[in-house]
Amino acid sequence: MILGRLIGTVWATRKNPRLENRKLAIVRPYFWYNPSHDIEHVVAVDQVGAEIGQDVLVCVGQPGRWVAGDYRSPIEASIMAIVDRVEIAQRACEDATVPFVLRQDFRPATLEWTP
Amino acid sequence: MRLGRVVGAVWGGKEAASLGQRKLLQVQPVKLLPGTGAKVVEAGAEDQELSGGLVVALDMLGAGIGEYVLIAHGSRVRDLTIGPDLPTKDVVIAIVDSCHVDRELLTVTPQEAA
Repeated sequence: MILGRLIGTVWATRKNPRLENRKLAIVRPYFWYNPSHDIEHVVAVDQVGAEIGQDVLVCVGQPGRWVAGDYRSPIEASIMAIVDRVEIAQRACEDATVPFVLRQDFRPATLEWTP
Repeated sequence: MRLGRVVGAVWGGKEAASLGQRKLLQVQPVKLLPGTGAKVVEAGAEDQELSGGLVVALDMLGAGIGEYVLIAHGSRVRDLTIGPDLPTKDVVIAIVDSCHVDRELLTVTPQEAA
């Protein structure tokens, strides 16, 4: 699962028939673990009716297809939840052994720090 | 799934028999840069905001050079779209009409901005 911000929408008419009537949203991830490189954006099928600017949880891979309710559609990612609050431990971010990268300029709107 | 722009086509002198009449396209993923206002992506629009990595994707929809497409990655996606016989992992699953990105949402959090 990826935590990210919904930043835009995509419209397409010529597409795989199994993508008909799907709302496509562009999500920019807040942080990443593996692969350790910066993932620029991910286009996900919106299943929950999220709005632009909201923090969302994106499910990727085969479970993303299940979330979309059609396991034979070529969907790679689905928005499965709208996030109310994010809590991150300050200690975890300072620990170099924790494989967790947080962007400097792009953080969840609902982020709260705990010691 | 990622957004990309078709920058060229690839032809092979000898191709896998299972490729048939399907086309191979060079797709450059879109890079989203922070800024102000909205970024609107439309077919034919000049856009320099593309990332360095090129992807060769299989196209069944008939996308042309300069068009924006949605590419999906993985062997499952290939199995579900073109079948298991072709050795590819990137497939064009949609041709994008337009796409709208709020650039202001790409940097600070709404809380910080307030």
